[in-house]
Amino acid sequence: MSLAEKYPQEIEKILAKYPPEHKRSAVMALLYMAMREGGYISKADKADIASMLDMTTTEVSSIVGFYSLFHDEKAGQYRLQVCTDIGCALKGADQYLADLCEKLDVKPGETTEDGLITIEEVKCLAACDKAPMFQVQSPEGIKYHEKMTVDTTLALIEELRKDAQEAK
Amino acid sequence: MTKDITLTIDGKEVSVPAGTLIPDAAKKIGIDIPVFCYHPKMEPVGMCRQCLVEIGRPAFDRTTGEAVLEEDGSPKINWGWKLETSCTNPVSEGMVVNTKSEKAVKGQNEMLEFQLLSHPLDCPVCDKGGECLLQDLTLAHGGTESRFNFDEKRHAEKKVALSDLIWLDRERCIQCGRCVRFQSEIVGEAVLGFEARGSHTQIMTTSEPGFDSAFSGNTTDICPVGALTTAQFRFGARPWEMEATASVCTECPVGCNTVLNTRRDVKTGGKVVVKRVMPRQNESVNETWICDKGRFTDFSADSRLTAPSIGWTDAIASAAQNLSAADEPIFVVDGSLPNEDLFNIKSLADEVGAKAYCYSEVGGGELTTKSGTYGKSGAGDAILVIGSDLYVDAPIFWLRAKQAVDRGATLIVATEEETRLDNFASTVVRDFAQGLEAAKEAFSKAENTVILYKGDDALAQSCADLNPTSLVGVWNDANTQGAWEMGYEAISDLDVLKGKTVYVAGKSALVASALEVAKFVVAQTAEDVQIAVSITEASGSKCVTLPSRNISESLGTFTSAERRVQLFHPAVPAEGDTLPGFVITAQVAEKMGVTLDIEAEDIFANFFDLSYADLSKTNPEEKLLIGGNCYENTQGVGVQL
Repeated sequence: MSLAEKYPQEIEKILAKYPPEHKRSAVMALLYMAMREGGYISKADKADIASMLDMTTTEVSSIVGFYSLFHDEKAGQYRLQVCTDIGCALKGADQYLADLCEKLDVKPGETTEDGLITIEEVKCLAACDKAPMFQVQSPEGIKYHEKMTVDTTLALIEELRKDAQEAK
Repeated sequence: MTKDITLTIDGKEVSVPAGTLIPDAAKKIGIDIPVFCYHPKMEPVGMCRQCLVEIGRPAFDRTTGEAVLEEDGSPKINWGWKLETSCTNPVSEGMVVNTKSEKAVKGQNEMLEFQLLSHPLDCPVCDKGGECLLQDLTLAHGGTESRFNFDEKRHAEKKVALSDLIWLDRERCIQCGRCVRFQSEIVGEAVLGFEARGSHTQIMTTSEPGFDSAFSGNTTDICPVGALTTAQFRFGARPWEMEATASVCTECPVGCNTVLNTRRDVKTGGKVVVKRVMPRQNESVNETWICDKGRFTDFSADSRLTAPSIGWTDAIASAAQNLSAADEPIFVVDGSLPNEDLFNIKSLADEVGAKAYCYSEVGGGELTTKSGTYGKSGAGDAILVIGSDLYVDAPIFWLRAKQAVDRGATLIVATEEETRLDNFASTVVRDFAQGLEAAKEAFSKAENTVILYKGDDALAQSCADLNPTSLVGVWNDANTQGAWEMGYEAISDLDVLKGKTVYVAGKSALVASALEVAKFVVAQTAEDVQIAVSITEASGSKCVTLPSRNISESLGTFTSAERRVQLFHPAVPAEGDTLPGFVITAQVAEKMGVTLDIEAEDIFANFFDLSYADLSKTNPEEKLLIGGNCYENTQGVGVQL
C-alpha cells in the first residue's frame, strides 16, 4: 500500500502547510513519513512522493542521498550510529567500534543476524567530549547514548531486543 | 534598456549592462577567468570555486553617502580580506577586480589542485581529451605534481550508462553540476541529480527510463571534463584529428546550425566520414544547443546507389527523352532538397510548361510565406502550438516555447494527445477548435503572437485567420518552406501522377510512392533505392535513377520553417559518381534544350535577392554566450526573409 493510500489525511495536512505552487517544499515531511513507516525509503516511496509533489524521482532521490538520516536501503529496526570523527577517535571511539563489531560479529554497515541492529560509522554528532558515543535511529526517533563502553552497549542492545520482542 | 555599469578589471575599464556577472564582463575585454561550474546561459552557483578573484568596491561615507577619496583624490577602494567567486558577483559601479594578482592566481591554482584531487587523469583514453576545459585549465593553473597522496585517490565507476546515448564516468566528474542545471533550468526535465555529499557526491538518475531527454547530448558539450560522453562517439576519434565543416541539420524544419566533424576512418576503408555532429552557435535559431535527433543523425548509407546502373550519359539521355516525349510530364519534389535543387527543377518545369509539386502532409504552405519569424518570445507574447508534438517534431522549437514561457510568454497547447509541453502551458486543450478559441482570447491581449501548427490546409487557414505575427508550419522535412518560397504547389497525395511520366526528386520514400502510380519515373535521390527497385519490378513501371549527393557532400541552402535561409558546406567527398542534384537537373534540361546554371551560388542568386556572402555574415559578439564545446559561428548565421 502506498503512502498516499495509507495516510491520505496526514498527507493532506502536510500539503496544506505549503502554497500549491511550492508544494515540493513538503518533500522533507513526506520523506520523514516514509522513514517512520518502513525504516527506510523504498523505490516505490520515492516514486509516490515524486508524483504527489510534481517532482522527478531523481530529484527525490537526490534529497534522500544528501541527508545522512534518510536511508534508501532496508536495515535493522535500530540503526546504531557511532561517531568516529577525530574528536571521538582521540577518545578511543575507533577502537570501541572495532571491539563492538567483533562482539556482534558484524562489520560497520552490517546488520546483526536477528535483523534488529545495524551498526553504522558516521561523521561528527557534536558530542566529542562524551565519546565514545552513538545515536540510535529508529522509528521512534533519534536518541543519543554517551560515554559508552562495549559492555554498556551490549546491555543496551539486550534491552532493545527485549523491547522488540515485547512489541511483537 | 538597463543601465550600463563601468568597472575596472586587471587595470582595464569596461562598461557592461547592470546585472552582468564578472566573468562575462571580463570576457568582453578578452580576460578569461577560469571557470568550471559557471555557464553564461545558466544561473551561477559558485560550486567549483575555480573563479576566485580579488574584488574591491569603492568606499562610501555612511553618514553623507559620498565616496571616500584617497589623499591623491582617487576613490578609496575597500578590498575584501578573502578571495571571492567572480561568477556569483554582479558588477557594480567603480568595482575593481584583479584576476591575475599574485593572491588571485594562488587561489585559482590551489582550487585546481583540489579539482585534480581524485581526477584519474586518463586523458590519453578520454573522449574529451583535446577539447577539455580541465585539461586547458590544468595547463594554465596546474602544478607539476600533486601534494596529495596518489594512493588515496577516490575511485568510482567509470562506465555508467545514464541512457542508451550518454555515458557517465564518475571518476572524471568534478561535480560542477552543469548537466544537472542544464536539465532542470534550461530543459525543465530534472532527470539528473546529485547524490550523497562531500567527496562522495556523484551524478545519478533514478528516473525511468534514465536520462530520458531529447536534449541529453548537450550535457556532453557543456561537461567541462570527460565525465559525460556520447555512446556514439565513444573512442571514435581525437578532436584534433577531425575537420570541422559548417552544416545545417536536416532532421526537422528548425534549421539548427551544426558542424560536421569528419575524419578518415579505418572501418570504412579509409574513407572520410562524419564522426559526429556538433552544435554551431546561432542565437536566433538553436542558441548553443541541438537535439539528440540531430546530433545522432546517421550519415552512413551503405546501400545507396553511387552511379546510374546504365551510366550517366545513357541515364540522362533516357530521362530527357522520356520527359520530352511525355504529353504532360509532372515534377514532384519533397522538402529534403536544398533550394538550389528545387530552383533548377522548378525552372525546368516552368520552361516545359509542366506542373511542379512539393509533396507535404502538412498544408498551408502559401500562408506561411508571408509572416515573419518565431523569434525570441517573452513577456507580453502569446504562442499557440496546435497539432504538433514539438518535442518529437521539432525539439528545438519545443525548447524555445518552453523558454518563452520562462520569460513570461503565454502558451496554449492544442494537441490530440498529451505532450511534454503541456506542463509549461497556461492552457491545454485536446481539441483544435477550443485551442483556436483560447488563442483568439490570448492574442487579443498579446503583443507578438506566434502559431506553430501541423495539420491540413483547413487548419492552416484557421490559424492564419487569427492573424498572428508569425505563422510557422511544422513541416516534416528540413526545406519544405524553401519549396513554398519558390512557388511549388502543395500536394498531399500522389494520385495525379497516375499513368504519367514524372521527374521525382527527394527521399526514397517519395520515389517509392511515385513508382506505385506513375508510368515512367525519373528518380533523383541521395538515398537508398533498393525499395524503389523492387517496386519497379513489381508494378512494371519504368524508372531511371539519378543518384544525387546528400547534404554532407554538397554546397547549398535550406530555408527553415521560420524563413531563415542558411548555407551548408560539403564536409565529405561525394560518394562514387554521384552528382549535385542541381547539376543532374541542368544536364537533363540541356538535353531537352533548356539551359540552367550549374554553380550553386549562381543558382542561388537567381531566386533570392541575396548572395552566399550575405548568408555568411556572423555576429562575433554572440560567442561570449558559449560555455562548452559548441562551435563558434564563423561561417554565417543566415538571413531572415
